[in-house]
Amino acid sequence: MPHLPYRELPDANPGTPPTRSPSHYLAWLARQQRGLLSLNAVFGIGWMVSQALVWAAVGEAIDAGLVHHSPRALLTWVALVMVLGIVQALCGSLRHQLAVTNWMHAAFRTSHIIGRHITATGDALTDEIPAGDIVNTVMADAMRVGGTFDSSARFAGSIVSWLVVSFILLGTSVQLGLIVLVGVPLLTCLTIPLMRPLHRAQAAQREAAGRLAAQASDTVTGLRILRGVGGEDVFYANYQRQNERVRLTGVRIATPQAGLESGQVLLPAVLTVIVTFIGAHDVMNGQLQAGQLVSFFGYTTFLTTPLRTAIEYVISVTRAYVGANKVLRIVRTVPTVRDGATRYQWPDGFTELRDERSGVTLRDGRLVGIVSADSADVVPLVERLGRFSADMRGVTLDGAPLEEFALSETRRHVVVSEIEPRLFSGQLREELTPHDDRDEAAITVALHAASATDILELLAGGLDARVEERGRGFSGGQRQRVVLARALLTHADVLILVEPTSAVDAHTEERIAQRLRLMRDGQCTVLVTSSPLLLETTDEVYLLHEGRAVTHGTHNDLVAQCADYRRIVLRTDES
Amino acid sequence: MSTLPIATFAEVRAYARTLMVRHRGSLALMLSLYALAAVAALVPAYVIGLLTNDATSHALTSNRIVDLLDVLASSSLAYGVLSFLARRRSYILGERVFAELRGSFLLSVLNLPLLVVENAGTGDLLSRTTSDVEAMSRTVRFALPEWLVAIIQTLLTFAAMVLVSPLASLASLVSLPILFFATRYYLRYATPGYRRERISYASLAGTVAETAEGARTIDALQLGDRQNRRIEANLRENFYAEMYTLLMRMVWFPISESAFALAVAATLGWSGLLVLHHVLSVGAATTVTLYVVQINDPLDRLVSWLDELQMGQSSLARLVGVSGVHDSRPLTGPEPADEELRLHNVRYAYGEGRDVVNDVSLVIRPGERLAIVGPSGAGKSTLGRLLAGTDVPRAGTVTLGGATLSDLPLTTLRRHVLLVTQEHHIFLGTVRDNVALAQPDASEEEVCSALDAVDALAWVRHLPEGLNTELGTTGHDLSPAQAQQVALARIVLANPHTLILDEATALLDPRAARHLERSLSAVLEGRTVIAIAHRLHTAHDADRVCVMEEGRITELGSHDELLSLNGSYAALWRSWRHETS
Repeated sequence: MPHLPYRELPDANPGTPPTRSPSHYLAWLARQQRGLLSLNAVFGIGWMVSQALVWAAVGEAIDAGLVHHSPRALLTWVALVMVLGIVQALCGSLRHQLAVTNWMHAAFRTSHIIGRHITATGDALTDEIPAGDIVNTVMADAMRVGGTFDSSARFAGSIVSWLVVSFILLGTSVQLGLIVLVGVPLLTCLTIPLMRPLHRAQAAQREAAGRLAAQASDTVTGLRILRGVGGEDVFYANYQRQNERVRLTGVRIATPQAGLESGQVLLPAVLTVIVTFIGAHDVMNGQLQAGQLVSFFGYTTFLTTPLRTAIEYVISVTRAYVGANKVLRIVRTVPTVRDGATRYQWPDGFTELRDERSGVTLRDGRLVGIVSADSADVVPLVERLGRFSADMRGVTLDGAPLEEFALSETRRHVVVSEIEPRLFSGQLREELTPHDDRDEAAITVALHAASATDILELLAGGLDARVEERGRGFSGGQRQRVVLARALLTHADVLILVEPTSAVDAHTEERIAQRLRLMRDGQCTVLVTSSPLLLETTDEVYLLHEGRAVTHGTHNDLVAQCADYRRIVLRTDES
Repeated sequence: MSTLPIATFAEVRAYARTLMVRHRGSLALMLSLYALAAVAALVPAYVIGLLTNDATSHALTSNRIVDLLDVLASSSLAYGVLSFLARRRSYILGERVFAELRGSFLLSVLNLPLLVVENAGTGDLLSRTTSDVEAMSRTVRFALPEWLVAIIQTLLTFAAMVLVSPLASLASLVSLPILFFATRYYLRYATPGYRRERISYASLAGTVAETAEGARTIDALQLGDRQNRRIEANLRENFYAEMYTLLMRMVWFPISESAFALAVAATLGWSGLLVLHHVLSVGAATTVTLYVVQINDPLDRLVSWLDELQMGQSSLARLVGVSGVHDSRPLTGPEPADEELRLHNVRYAYGEGRDVVNDVSLVIRPGERLAIVGPSGAGKSTLGRLLAGTDVPRAGTVTLGGATLSDLPLTTLRRHVLLVTQEHHIFLGTVRDNVALAQPDASEEEVCSALDAVDALAWVRHLPEGLNTELGTTGHDLSPAQAQQVALARIVLANPHTLILDEATALLDPRAARHLERSLSAVLEGRTVIAIAHRLHTAHDADRVCVMEEGRITELGSHDELLSLNGSYAALWRSWRHETS
């Protein structure tokens, strides 16, 4: 489908919203699009007022045309009915167009702000807010925020058309005018309490339905296991139990929902009856003409629309407020690690990266193994070396605190590939070299080093093949090798690989061990592992106990001299 | 990759008909209530016509006004009450129908043949489970009832108009051809646009999910800007998709709205002329005009819901499509004579490709521990799947106790052979639910001893609620290693005679893995265990080792035999045990 000649959304820069409160946020959004909102209101007013005025023309057609037997007058007023109808159609369409545009501006700007935020905060955000909630906020709450900007023009139209109708009536009968002037807001206020039980019931149903949907997705995601091991009956029974619960919460909505909808019709009918009753007496007394009575009847039936719109607007503002609150919860999170005082620049070649607390020193050009009986022991060290930790005391690069280098520089020079890193969806080539360095030869070398060339052969399209979300299409071993190739392709000065071969077979592991050494020749590489095949290729190995290096030496020396090391790496105690 | 089928239009229609027939009672009641409400709604316009007639003939009296307004008030009240009852019925019925639809869809999903699930991948099925079910929810709960109601209201209002004056009603028909052609044009071009919208929102959700879940990797590899660009690209596509359908509506709305206005003006003008020629009373002209205004509302809804209904139909086709897949496995079949698994000249290829398992014959002795080792891509996992009966060989036979594996009913097969792979999934529910997946009646002791057999009991006891800790995406997060232990505990509890473990301990650290395997073998004494493993200590501990290379078995024997053979296994072992240097 073609691109449209519209200003593209989103804007390159969505701006920096105030995070003080949801009202501040909504007001800020409104300011960003105030022009569009005002224009939208103009058409909203035109649309609603023309709907009301049609009744004036119908009444005149009856009085001047039919009662007074004037074909000319009839034709004139009928023509006016048509003109007002067309005005209504045009204003209505433009109002709709601007409403959707306003909605998109607000919703997409909000999504964009969230998007920018989640791509910049690291796991500080997901530590606090589950990923599922973030998706929900983008998909539902941002739309709710947008929704209020959709209905605001119609709300403006409601207010103005209600006033117009009231003044028309005041012109003929003060009594009738006052009834409408007071009656409409009164009825709106009477209807609002009907919303509360409905909202409660809807919230309950959304929650129950959300759980049911999660249950269904869970079943499908684990279906292979379920079909393999069994347990379908239990799952079906569980699902049906929740399904029934959702149905019952849905049934509980039925009464307040039907009540609100019927109330929205029934309450204005009270107004219709009163106005028609008084109007009919005025006709009887000769103060009003028959056609005018028809107009009055028309006005009061028309007033159902502004009334309904006002209620809708109140609902949309409430929802937007709740949505904005959730948006702000995300936007307020700050990353764990941020640039402080940047005093140093990364040298062209470094000599050593040192962690005082563990006693580990990484020298340029060395392949270093780190071994620990408990793999959790190594995590804080890796977090410090990669600068993911908030507490960076004692980590120095050539004597200067690592904290005082620019974070982006450090990320570029020190790359950490943890256990089970993520693969993203996209073309394999781009996933391997996300930083636009798509040299085919380099990719081939890295894939070879990761012993992953066979994966490429299996994929239709080779490097152009698409990687599925989370790399789901790959087996565990394949995924690990692709991720290793991606890490190698960063060509980082310091590459820290945590258990890079835990899911591959011994044959492959041995191949990777040899090729890794060749490929990273002359560059600093850290292998956190207990695999003898990998450790054999290292220049030196640190044995960690409770986060501190207890011994240090070549693999061969440690095998020969250290019983603990032998136990961990060669598992000599048990064979 | 084969895909799941989509039902034909006829199948969808048949399905919808079955649903309607099943609920005909409630449906009839709901529609009758709506019809009564629609009749009540016709009264006010008629009353206004009578008032107008009385006014023009100066016959209006106080009593007459009170009488007529009584009718007006009571009909409004009746309309309010009846429409309340009708809507309430309709929501309740919608919930029931939708609940049945969801339930029967999940049942079809649960009965999908394993092979179909494996081949189609979870993506397609997952999108049917989420977005198609969601689309159906709107269709069944709102669009369909609203649409049926709009039809009733339109027909009854038109009938009333004809009753008042057949001649005057004629003019109201002018809008129909305009509406028909405009809507047909709109639906043809807009429906694919709405589909595109849905897809574009699904990809935004996908990118956001991926970004949030991969926050650490994004930070480590500085992928933030790129992910942000992707989100922007998704938003831009959302925008274009929305703009397209908006453009379609911008053509359709003014035309259909003007058609409605035309109907009102034409009726007013035409019935006015009839009044001027003394064919019609002023009151009748008024009533007919009011009816035309009134009919525009249901007529508008009638055409506005069509796009939603069309999308609902395509979603329903995707849901009903799943129920058309049946398991080729028989429900009853032979009982294996004993527990001997035997592969005879087995070949297997994916699609048209080369044989990944190439003429393999192997007899697995009941009660033995067999390790299968070999380089990646040698066909080890495929062999495991053939032994588990998940896949059927291209040539040759796999038999269990003399019975061909593919002839065994699923329940029989599962009782005998179970496969655990590296792929792990923790289901929503407690630890106990997850372990006792297939054995819901298992006692607490049984669950605990299964967990103990995989070295998991200690950490499970330390969980906030022990065995009753909620797991899964919304509950306590397990490490991959722990998830793998749970998967193993599951089949220990299931207690089949033959267990095939395909890298089932790969995510544990080596020491823990070995410890686990040892405690496991103590529990599984007497059971057949086939372990596909990359860690050679598994092979060392096995009774026999089978080395696979390029789809064939190249070495087979005990660990010591293979070492003395001095082949590829021996070479690998030495390097693993650090004996070469």
